[in-house]
Amino acid sequence: MSVAANAGPADGGALERGGATSGLADVVETVLDKGVVIDAQVTVGVVGIPLVEINARVVVSSIETYLKFAEMTDRLDLSADAEGGLAGLVGEVTGAAREVTAGLGDTVGGATRQVGGTARELGRTTGDVVDDATGAVRDRPRRRER
Amino acid sequence: MADNGLFVYGIVPSDVEPTSDAEGVGDPPAEVTVVRRGDLAALVSEVGLGEPLGRPADLTAYQELLDGTAAVAPVLPVRFGTVVTGPDAVADLLDAHHDRFAEALDEYEGRLQYTLHGRFDEQALIRAVLADNPAAAELAGQVRGRPEQASREQRIRLGEIISQAVELRRETENRELVDALAGTSVANAVRPPSSELDSVHVAFLVDGDREDEFVDAAEEFARQRIGLMRLRLLGPLAPYDFVSAHQLAG
Repeated sequence: MSVAANAGPADGGALERGGATSGLADVVETVLDKGVVIDAQVTVGVVGIPLVEINARVVVSSIETYLKFAEMTDRLDLSADAEGGLAGLVGEVTGAAREVTAGLGDTVGGATRQVGGTARELGRTTGDVVDDATGAVRDRPRRRER
Repeated sequence: MADNGLFVYGIVPSDVEPTSDAEGVGDPPAEVTVVRRGDLAALVSEVGLGEPLGRPADLTAYQELLDGTAAVAPVLPVRFGTVVTGPDAVADLLDAHHDRFAEALDEYEGRLQYTLHGRFDEQALIRAVLADNPAAAELAGQVRGRPEQASREQRIRLGEIISQAVELRRETENRELVDALAGTSVANAVRPPSSELDSVHVAFLVDGDREDEFVDAAEEFARQRIGLMRLRLLGPLAPYDFVSAHQLAG
């Protein structure tokens, strides 16, 4: 058994595999604010950790999020057919939405703002210290023979 | 020793031995050593107290060391950034909480964490939500193509409807994921979403001898949702999301 580090779908499956090297956002989410907290008496203190200040989570109920969702409807490609397993969910786009399809191609095409920028935002914030991130593969500790 | 401390990565059984090339935090990466105390030990490395930590390379080193260790032995991750004065402090720590640590290590023997993290396809999600919400579909029709300033109120109303629908959808998907994988895992922890398009985010504790069954079940869950979401499997990992019950009061 080894640390799985292959990103992307494995064997054409639906499930993508990621490991410790799959991205800084994953690492931050996986390890920050986790783990055993040690008593103050034996701890000399936490060394300055800039990343701890970064909140990788998005506040889900906020005006900004609402506007993002509204923007997604701008980007909705109303001409695309629903695919495969989605057919049951999607049903039909209502008449109200369909009416506005005409003439909106330019607007839709021009919507370039991306959502889900967690990884990029983190990358930027920590950009000044990323240089020496080697992504080195290293051996893990092994168990001694009993 | 005044200017140095010991960075503590995790608690392990005392028969764990770091390989000579295991790299820790710091620049250049510090050598990882072990401080033993009876049947318990801690994986540590020296750090200069003036040296800032928390660079991406530090976080990656921390995770790779713990995940690599978890693959061969039980390990209790210690919160990133925990630094103690030296080996004596580590020994004190292991003594003071011996029974709890030993018990937790027994619990994680042969077990690993896998995290499933899914993201809705934006188009598929919005399509489904509008199809289920005529009011939202109508609002979408009204704001489409209009500048944000001219349609801000409607956009906020529209976004709120969608946001609530997505939250419900997320709850449902998380519940179905937990149901689908409960049979092949021993514990689970639903995690908060990390983006507004998150579909599922759950950590699972899995018995080593059932990994294949677990991964197969996860693959089946993903297969049923192709087009609606992308599902990623992270792991095997150290049990980061399952040690909170062992947190020690300061």
